[in-house]
Amino acid sequence: MKNSTMKRGAAALAAVAVVAAAGGCSNKAQDTGSSSAGGGAGEVKTDTGVEGTTINLGVLTDLTGVFAALGKDITNANTMYWKDNKVCDKYDVKLDVQDTGYVPQQGVQLYSGMKDSILAMQQTIGSPINTALAPEYTADKMVNFPSAWAQTLTEIPGTGVVGATYAVEIANGYDYMLKQGLLKEGDTVGHIYFEGEYGANGLAGTKAVAAKKNLKVIEAQIKSTDQDMSSQITQFKAAGVKMVALTVAPTQLASAAAAMVSQGLDVPILGSNPVFAPGLLQGPSADKIKKDLYVASPVSAFDAHPDLLKEYQAAYPDATPSLGVLVGVGMSAIMKQVLDSACDNGDLTHQGVLDAFNGLSKVDTGGVVVPIRGFEKGKSPSLESFILQPADVPGGAKVVQDAFEGEFAADIAG
Amino acid sequence: MTQFLSLLLNGISLGALYALIALGFVIIFKASEVVSFTHGSLLLLGAYSIARLSDSVGFFPAVVLGTLITAAAAFLIERVIINRLRGAPVISLAIVTIGIDIILLTELIRRIGSDILNVPHPWAGKSLTIGSVGISQNRAIATLVAAVLIIVFFVAFKYSSWGVAMRASAEDGETAALMGIRLGRVSALAWIIAGVLAAVAALFLVGAPTPGVSAAAYTVALRAFPAAILGGLDSTGGALVGGLLIGLAESFAAGYQDQILFLGRGFGDVVPYVVMIAVLLVRPSGLFGTKELTRV
Repeated sequence: MKNSTMKRGAAALAAVAVVAAAGGCSNKAQDTGSSSAGGGAGEVKTDTGVEGTTINLGVLTDLTGVFAALGKDITNANTMYWKDNKVCDKYDVKLDVQDTGYVPQQGVQLYSGMKDSILAMQQTIGSPINTALAPEYTADKMVNFPSAWAQTLTEIPGTGVVGATYAVEIANGYDYMLKQGLLKEGDTVGHIYFEGEYGANGLAGTKAVAAKKNLKVIEAQIKSTDQDMSSQITQFKAAGVKMVALTVAPTQLASAAAAMVSQGLDVPILGSNPVFAPGLLQGPSADKIKKDLYVASPVSAFDAHPDLLKEYQAAYPDATPSLGVLVGVGMSAIMKQVLDSACDNGDLTHQGVLDAFNGLSKVDTGGVVVPIRGFEKGKSPSLESFILQPADVPGGAKVVQDAFEGEFAADIAG
Repeated sequence: MTQFLSLLLNGISLGALYALIALGFVIIFKASEVVSFTHGSLLLLGAYSIARLSDSVGFFPAVVLGTLITAAAAFLIERVIINRLRGAPVISLAIVTIGIDIILLTELIRRIGSDILNVPHPWAGKSLTIGSVGISQNRAIATLVAAVLIIVFFVAFKYSSWGVAMRASAEDGETAALMGIRLGRVSALAWIIAGVLAAVAALFLVGAPTPGVSAAAYTVALRAFPAAILGGLDSTGGALVGGLLIGLAESFAAGYQDQILFLGRGFGDVVPYVVMIAVLLVRPSGLFGTKELTRV
């Protein structure tokens, strides 16, 4: 009896130790935060997040969860960019990188640990985490760049979607397909989309184009956990679709392509930017994907930026670069313009940075990201998209159409 | 008609894979009275091992090794954890398996990340046309292999000494033990077989038309769960019928989603559970489950 009580006691102690150790880890991040008040750098006004000539920016990324590979690429690109660049030729930028594991709760916790030591958020990965943090970002006047393109994110003050929203993006894709003769007015198209904001936003783009071009749309809503697209493709084939649109993840693209081959549905595929991953080109659907997939994208590809690829490979020789690198460099370049502008205005406080962000217009990232017209609440920051096609090149895709504004973009963009 | 046949074929091939997984649930339940929630992660472990090993040792050796790894993992779970908790309430055991599942799954997802790992099946994305209906070779082979495995299993279950021992221990564990049947051994073997079945199902589930090992493969096991329940959790034949029913229901609900739009978009996703609830309302022990008799 005594023995079992002791055992139980020991087990309880061990459990407490594990919890305390875990708590210790998360407290550590909080303790490192220090707030520097008052202008520490000449006439420029500052508040938290600027220490001497160093600006601290937060990064909430995914290094261990489902978007780990993408998160690593974007974060590496952020780091690489700020190694070579300064704000106002004076301030170095230091990134406080934290791993959310793509868990919103974890993101909220990590943010509360870092918010008193940062000036703005260089990156927040994932719509769910951005949405969870929206009230805090708004209250703290945080300028933030998400790596998601949902319309709802444009409603968060200070959050800058890096390119066109999903609706505008896919509408630009339709424009390209129509102009290339891959789709005709009055055709039937099938659209497989995720339930939730991402899918709904993509479908809104399809519906807007369909209304103008008299397209018949066969809708197929799926969950992000659905794997087998055979039934949806069977339905599309029976309906005689001339094109398949996808606002899903790479796994579903692979399945849809495989099902199209096995069922003999030989039509092109148009995808929103998250559908593509270079890993697809090693899979059994590679031939179909290379031949028939067109991706509407807010970022360019490495074939248009060979220097960037070289620089990245030199900095991270072991990494397999994806287009996430371009997203990372693009969002850092936009952040630099915001901070430069705030610095020029003599106000590197949160309010000053937010004002600079709101005042931004015609942002040019040297063609890495589509031209941004400015960040207005509820409006797509850009009207343009690139069209990419998969190819056996680094990053897995090449540009087939440079950034352009499609015929439907302005009406949908708000 | 082509659409109907195509959906039918897809439903059967998907159902055969569900049946393999559901059979694993049932065997474990019969042998150790544990409702095992570890199947999702075992499935993913099988797929992950095969995909990773294929690069270095080639496809077929990787399949053998991947299956062995999954079976070994199932065996270890049984020996190290489940066997030591024998006699604990069934509900505690079920929750323990959820815990094991989460630990294994978290590690696998961390390793897979957002990559898509491809298993280099020799048949890759090739397809087979029967009349006007096309099906991927992967699914056709899967249906055949599943059918063979299920037949072998049923024969072994009926005639081998292990099968008899297992049926006896499921019927009345205490008496079986008194007759010299080693319950621990029966239970361990059941877990090993369930591991093998999960790995075989995984091999085909990550081929066309659902190519690539990603974290989402895990959720397939969750769909096989209602298959096992509606067939009757203690009926091996029920697992087979349940698997096919769920596969067909899912295929038709997704393929005819415009016709059943009045039920709401995305109805296909809830179909396995609707079918399960409908069956259980009529037959609480499942289609072929043993009715619980209580004398009062």
